[in-house]
Amino acid sequence: MSKGMPPLLGVRGLTKRFGGLTAVNKVDFALWPGEILGLIGPNGSGKSTLVKLLMGIEQPTEGSILFDGAEIAGLSTHLVARKGIGIVFQHSRPLERQTVIETILLGLLPDSLFRLSISAEHRARARAIAEKVGLGAVLDRRPSTLSFADLRRLELAKALARNPKILLIDEPFAGLTASECAEFSSLFREQRSQGKAILLVDHNVRTVAALVDRVIALCLGERIAEGKPVDVMRDEAVRRVYLGGAIEAAPRNGTGAAGAAPLLELRGVGVRYGKALAVDQADLAVGENEFVSLVGINGAGKTSLFNAITGFVPHSGEILWRGQPVKGLSAVRIARLGISHCPETRELFGDMSVRENLDLGGQRQAKAESDDRLAWMFELFPILKSRQKQNASTLSGGEQQMLAIARALMTDPQLLILDEPTLGLAPIILEQLSKALDALRQTGKVGVLLGEQNVTFALPHADRIHVMDRGRLTWQGSPDRFVHEAGANYLI
Amino acid sequence: MAKTAPLRPFWPVLAILALAAFLPLGVSGYVLGLLTLAYYFGVFAMAWDLLFGFANEVNFGTTFLIGVGAYSAGILDNRYGLPIWACVAAGTAIAVVGGLILALPALRVSGPYFGLTTLVAVLLLQNFVIIFSEVTGGEIGLVVPDVITTDAAGNYWIALALLATSGVILTTLSRSAVGLILQASGQDRIQAAALGFNVTRHKLVAFSVSALFSGLAGSFMVFYMGTASIGTLIDITIGVQIIIAAVLGGRRTIIGAAFGAIFLIGLTEILRPTGEVATFLVSAVALLVVILAPNGLTGMVARKARP
Amino acid sequence: MLVLQILIDGFAIGALYALGATGFTLIFGVSGVLNLSHGALMVAAAAAAWAAHTEGAMGSLASAAIGLTVGVALALATFRLVVRPIQRSPAIRAEEREIFILTATLLWGILIQEAIASLFTSNAKTVPPLIGGVTLLFGVRIPRNEILTAILCWAVIGILWLWVNRTRTGKAVLAASMNSRGVILLGIDLSRIHVAVWAVYGLLAGVAGVLLGMFLGVSSYSVGPLTASAFSIVVLGGLGSVYGSIMAAYAVGYLETMTAYLVSPAYRFIPALLLLVTVMYVRPHGLLGRR
Repeated sequence: MSKGMPPLLGVRGLTKRFGGLTAVNKVDFALWPGEILGLIGPNGSGKSTLVKLLMGIEQPTEGSILFDGAEIAGLSTHLVARKGIGIVFQHSRPLERQTVIETILLGLLPDSLFRLSISAEHRARARAIAEKVGLGAVLDRRPSTLSFADLRRLELAKALARNPKILLIDEPFAGLTASECAEFSSLFREQRSQGKAILLVDHNVRTVAALVDRVIALCLGERIAEGKPVDVMRDEAVRRVYLGGAIEAAPRNGTGAAGAAPLLELRGVGVRYGKALAVDQADLAVGENEFVSLVGINGAGKTSLFNAITGFVPHSGEILWRGQPVKGLSAVRIARLGISHCPETRELFGDMSVRENLDLGGQRQAKAESDDRLAWMFELFPILKSRQKQNASTLSGGEQQMLAIARALMTDPQLLILDEPTLGLAPIILEQLSKALDALRQTGKVGVLLGEQNVTFALPHADRIHVMDRGRLTWQGSPDRFVHEAGANYLI
Repeated sequence: MAKTAPLRPFWPVLAILALAAFLPLGVSGYVLGLLTLAYYFGVFAMAWDLLFGFANEVNFGTTFLIGVGAYSAGILDNRYGLPIWACVAAGTAIAVVGGLILALPALRVSGPYFGLTTLVAVLLLQNFVIIFSEVTGGEIGLVVPDVITTDAAGNYWIALALLATSGVILTTLSRSAVGLILQASGQDRIQAAALGFNVTRHKLVAFSVSALFSGLAGSFMVFYMGTASIGTLIDITIGVQIIIAAVLGGRRTIIGAAFGAIFLIGLTEILRPTGEVATFLVSAVALLVVILAPNGLTGMVARKARP
Repeated sequence: MLVLQILIDGFAIGALYALGATGFTLIFGVSGVLNLSHGALMVAAAAAAWAAHTEGAMGSLASAAIGLTVGVALALATFRLVVRPIQRSPAIRAEEREIFILTATLLWGILIQEAIASLFTSNAKTVPPLIGGVTLLFGVRIPRNEILTAILCWAVIGILWLWVNRTRTGKAVLAASMNSRGVILLGIDLSRIHVAVWAVYGLLAGVAGVLLGMFLGVSSYSVGPLTASAFSIVVLGGLGSVYGSIMAAYAVGYLETMTAYLVSPAYRFIPALLLLVTVMYVRPHGLLGRR
């Protein structure tokens, strides 16, 4: 690629606001033919919104997108596609009623109202594309019979059929084995050598470092770094986002529950979504009043694991609560066993007040107990007391997270499962949350299973650390050992 | 599409059509009349299946399109005495226009709103007919002076021909390249757009085609029965029966819809001796099918065919 | 004066529509179901009340109670026999569920309509009013029962508001309409909530039906127009918004009353339909729609 030429895609000041939330904030970048540009960022960084803006699925609030010199910001999706931009969606979206070859043919058809038959030439080209991505053997099969990897290949084939000049590829490697990743990578390289411009979106620089020529890192909708992969991995701002700062194990008060009876036990647990294996052979235990942190990047499988424990998705293997299996129990039953799940999405009742949200948490108990717990929650989270009457949807992100945790605690659980509480929150809020979690630990009344990407937040309170990577639990040990062994290298 | 979606039912269907063509030779005029109605119904059901089965748009307003076509044809004959073929052609054209007027707002919304828009259209037409009763015949109905023929066999063959032709055209359409695009547009709007297709335009076309056949069959029916009335053409219950027929026969098969229609009319006829409870029973059967066997008759047949 | 007559009649009709529409919206907000057998439920309640009086020789209050019971029973039956099997059916894909529920409830409504027609003939019936007699309000002669109708409707709406905002079950229902997953996470049994909501809906539709039977009379032919006006109102006000439904109910109620008095009773449904069409063009999600 020669930087002397004008870029194929030029993005300037691209901004997208959804009401009060700015998902993408004045992002600039350029893309040249014959290069692969990595777009990296954690959940909530604006990557998916940015891709949707480029493809016309969302309309920008401000900014310009120049494709080959012409402005395309604001065009609808089918016009963007016809100009020469193609997309491989993050989640496979096959047409269930069409066979593989029919789906690829669709990509080759022009947007005409009157075409009745499909030419032999189109069929031949469709077959060739299928062969290239490795679908030659399943041409006449329907998506329900295809493997996960084949579905991903089909997504790629659809995009390639249109022969676009720019390919937007959204998190292609999730759920693929190492050899499948290598296969896809070489396909991308091939496209690059044919002069295509590729924007490759992923969570993590490390996984794509070998493949991309340049990287842009996003956080909270803004571009925080740009450059070669190696440089971006070393960038201060990027490390802070992923690691949360210097990694150190803060002193704990020795309530390390060694020898305590296991509250929750996972043995060989697996979770599948259709074809995708989200969790593979997970072994985990949380003792009474123990604090266990599960660290891993987004997409590692933490949420799936938590959903399996709380009964929202089925699982293979065994999950035992106080020695009794929970398989087959409904989510409501499991919640009533004493497991309180505070998910990433918080699931607050937006149009109800803070107080009403909390009261609903305490609904299943007698009024006196519920009132006591409420007082305790107000001690842990003083800001909730002052905002009692406010509607939950009007709270700030940090306050909403505190409300979600407090509401979960109102149910008087024996185990609190916290999924990524620090997502999108400012450092000062993290301090408050950390203090609250510490106070919670001191009471010794509740066990905690914390899933976090932010290691600095996850370390100080934990009795034990597990590391999760691509659905597998790859490491476990004490926080001190974690600092020495895993250190800074496992995430970025 | 020959390799991937072979016309498996082609030969059996051809055989059935041939058999049907010879029926008038041995069957009573009453049964022929019943089948004639069933065939027109079949066209309505197939047109609905194109829209729902493929473009994934629920259309409660088939009767709006039928009513517009039928009443236009009838009024043109009643008031201006135009020749039948002209009335039918005009009725069909006006139905298509009506369909486009309905589709434009309806396609901007999705899900239940679309269905409700079509339902409202039907209600409006009903009230319209009642208000302008000097022209439309109001609740009593419109009397049409001309009929195509009074011969039962003749009417039967016309209806059969219409059913066969519509069936062929609609089936070919559904299996063509355009049909493939339509299916994609119906299943996943964003994906279809990402592949370069103007989804709205394709759905509009599907709407127009559905309107064309609905209006055409509706206009023909007027000249078969010699009357047009709300109760036979526009009422919500008719619309529901069309949907039931298509669902009973099996969504997204086009041909299934025709069989569903014949089955439904047959069932109504068999249950006629029970008197008032007939509608009740038919609706009950239909409800059971919807709940227990949502893939309809062809679904049941297909399941037996597969090992 | 005519204006006063319109104002008062319109108020009563609006109250009736508001009650019916509130029930319709409630079911949609919590269960996600557009119940197209709504009109049938109302007419069934009214018909039951009429039958209890005419053939069972019961007093007007007892007949009304019978009507309410039928309303609740039918609503629960709709949930158990029609809606829930479809919601749980593995043969229907998620995107198609709504369509099937729409069709099935429509069919169910037809079933009920036919049953009413065959059991009680399709002639119009009036339910005996709870209070007889006429009174003077602002110089206009109004049947006492009409005033009672308006008061009762608002009382029921008020009780509903209290239930949803002050009781534990009611708050859980409200929460479920905002976020069903959140409710499950708190260990609150959603299936019991669904049953509660459908029972309440049956009560609302039953009261509206019986009162309508007293006010204007019903027949099996009323089923279609009643369902149509209920969802027109709910769509107009915005699916899922109770305040929107109430506002829209009064808009439609007054439009109908004005048209009936000033133009002709036969045309009274037209302006509301035209309003609906305009709103769908301009603001497809209704005046206060959330989704």
